[in-house]
Amino acid sequence: MKGWKGLAVGATAVAVAVAGCGSGSTDTSSSSKAGEPRTLTVWLMDGSAPTSLTDALNKEFEGAHAGVTVKYEIQKWNGIQDKLTTALASNNPPDVIELGNTQTAKFASEETLLDLSGDVSSLNGDQWLSGLKDSLTWDGKQYAMPFYAANRTVLYRTDLFQAAGITAAPTSRDEWLAAIEKLKAANASDPEFQALYLPGQSWYSLLSFIWDEGGDVAKSQGSAWTGSLNTAEAKAGLEFYKKLAEAGSKAPKDTDEATPQQAEVYGKGKVAMFIGLPWEVGTAAKADPTLKDKTGAFAIPSKTAGKTAPVFLGGSNVAIPQGSKNQDLAKEYLKLLSSKKYQDLLAEGGSVPGTSKDTAKLATTPVGKALAASAPNGKVTPTTPAWAAVESGQNPLKDMLTAYLTGAKSIDQATGDANAALSKTLGG
Amino acid sequence: MTAVNTTDSAVPARGSSPAPRRAVKGGARRRQGSALDRALPYLLLAPAVIAILWLIGWPVLSVVITSFRKLNLKELTRGEVVWTGLDNYTLILSEPTFWTIALRTVLFTAAVVFVSVGAGLAIALLMRQVSPVVRVVLQVAMLLAWAMPLLAATTVYQWIFDQQYGILNKTLVKIGLSGFEGYSWFTSGVSTMSVIGLLIVWQAIPFLAFSLYAGVIGIPRDQYEAAGIDGASAWQTFRAVTWPELRPLLLMVTFLSLLWDFKVFTQIWAFKKGGPDGGSTTLPVLQYLEGLAKSHFGVAAAVSVLMVALLALLTFQYLRRLIRQEGDL
Repeated sequence: MKGWKGLAVGATAVAVAVAGCGSGSTDTSSSSKAGEPRTLTVWLMDGSAPTSLTDALNKEFEGAHAGVTVKYEIQKWNGIQDKLTTALASNNPPDVIELGNTQTAKFASEETLLDLSGDVSSLNGDQWLSGLKDSLTWDGKQYAMPFYAANRTVLYRTDLFQAAGITAAPTSRDEWLAAIEKLKAANASDPEFQALYLPGQSWYSLLSFIWDEGGDVAKSQGSAWTGSLNTAEAKAGLEFYKKLAEAGSKAPKDTDEATPQQAEVYGKGKVAMFIGLPWEVGTAAKADPTLKDKTGAFAIPSKTAGKTAPVFLGGSNVAIPQGSKNQDLAKEYLKLLSSKKYQDLLAEGGSVPGTSKDTAKLATTPVGKALAASAPNGKVTPTTPAWAAVESGQNPLKDMLTAYLTGAKSIDQATGDANAALSKTLGG
Repeated sequence: MTAVNTTDSAVPARGSSPAPRRAVKGGARRRQGSALDRALPYLLLAPAVIAILWLIGWPVLSVVITSFRKLNLKELTRGEVVWTGLDNYTLILSEPTFWTIALRTVLFTAAVVFVSVGAGLAIALLMRQVSPVVRVVLQVAMLLAWAMPLLAATTVYQWIFDQQYGILNKTLVKIGLSGFEGYSWFTSGVSTMSVIGLLIVWQAIPFLAFSLYAGVIGIPRDQYEAAGIDGASAWQTFRAVTWPELRPLLLMVTFLSLLWDFKVFTQIWAFKKGGPDGGSTTLPVLQYLEGLAKSHFGVAAAVSVLMVALLALLTFQYLRRLIRQEGDL
């Protein structure tokens, strides 16, 4: 069996013809006798947990378990699925991993994660964030613990809003569009000014508009999913995206929010608003520290005045690979992480905590307040193992956006093509 | 003296028997030695051959074996072996887009090889004509282009062709082509492939130009002098002197380019992940999508096998010529 595994790993390496990132861990602490020195390898994602949390957590854990060293490694989101695939297939995977909530179903269905159904209550199960619950289960079993969630809000420059005479944050689409017009009028002399930076492939933002219209990306019949991007609701969401982009944005229509990093564009000071995640304020502040105090946030407005649009509840789960050699220790680690002390630190860092319903610590900043206001209206993408391929491969939603925004395709053609591509990916 | 005497007498005294025996012995030893001699080169080669078989032969065999298996992440992590026969192949070959992708890959490779070898040859010929100073400047410029890492070059090209912030659109607008204001180069597959093709040509030219220039300076001067005396035009000189001398080298660099450009992945993936709408998806991209994005390693292995088959088909003529040449030696 070992031989076959080696063969398969070798074959994969060649078949894919890409230099895989090695898992890098070479420790062979396979014995689980207490007292012997052991290493617990923990992979968390870049930007997920503040160092105030991880430092204290790792120290407390090492203190409570004699002879145990926590090997804490920070991974980058970019390309994480490939890296996890390689790591989980290796003989020596990490012991605790963080996964995007849209990726969990895939890894669970491939039976690479440890079944945690029996541990829910010891991991604060009754306090878990409901919006992430679907993404933790596969085939009726629990394969992960929710870590945190965050959703997009509109981040804006309070000083520019004031200068343009906007007194209150928009609470409907119409007010939002009106604010864009006012900002443009007030900054007409600057040709580089953008009232709202909205790159053409910001598909998480598009999800909000589609959901706000009552549509969805895909529908399920039992375990089979079919795309629903060609519905009237989805088309209306796409129309609004175009309206918004044309009203206030000069961003490229053929790239997403990461190329270039939208927070860095905002950091240059020529942009009044963008739809972003809480920690992007920090990214922008690297270029201009004063932005930290000048940035406010409001929930993405709905077409119904006074309501907020549903938002994509982006977030992370933590799981234990089935191949972990320290499963008992890994469970202990998760238990400690799910305790209120560390969940509060998570909220202080600006995320919605995953295993605690208490968000009091979150509401202390304007961005946190907007986050807490819209999080209950959060939704997730279809919970199917096939969804991971939509994001890591060729995302039909991005193609649809670019094709329609640049005028390469009509709305019917763009949504029809994307829907066919999406159905195909979700179907197999 | 006595010793000499003894020896002298000893030789005839022991008669003819020792000498033939010695001769037989010697002969036998020599024959044994020659068997060893004959085996020795193979023994010396053995470690290298074993290493090569292990490093190259074994993975190739693994890919072929894997292509007959159902191997998703689940089977991989649990070490399960599930044979599916030709299922992976029928799955790929029954996919209508596979043939589009294969054709696109072949056409793209042909175009890129043709343009890059042509441009490389042109620069090699140019380098022979220009003054040494210009030549050095040219060579340094090419060396820098050659030294640039793949992804860095790709990033620079992405930036040049950026819809909003790209220097190309800005320049085109400045020289009066206002239609390029906010023009997107990546809305169609053909346009995206052209930009990527340009990048690959740009990256390939230094190697081709240097190799061909080495060939060009190897052509004896007197042949050109003879052509000059005969009153040949530039084009006639090229056809009668340069072309025949360079042909073997051209054939080789074309073959190498073919291999490189057929399996280009990094630049294509970094640009638009094979988009828009799969319009720039080539076989290596398909392989990645199946293998890593979907974790269907068996299917990805089948794509590799098909790729190798296609490549062998494309280079059939060259391989035949190569083998015939080796045979002559």
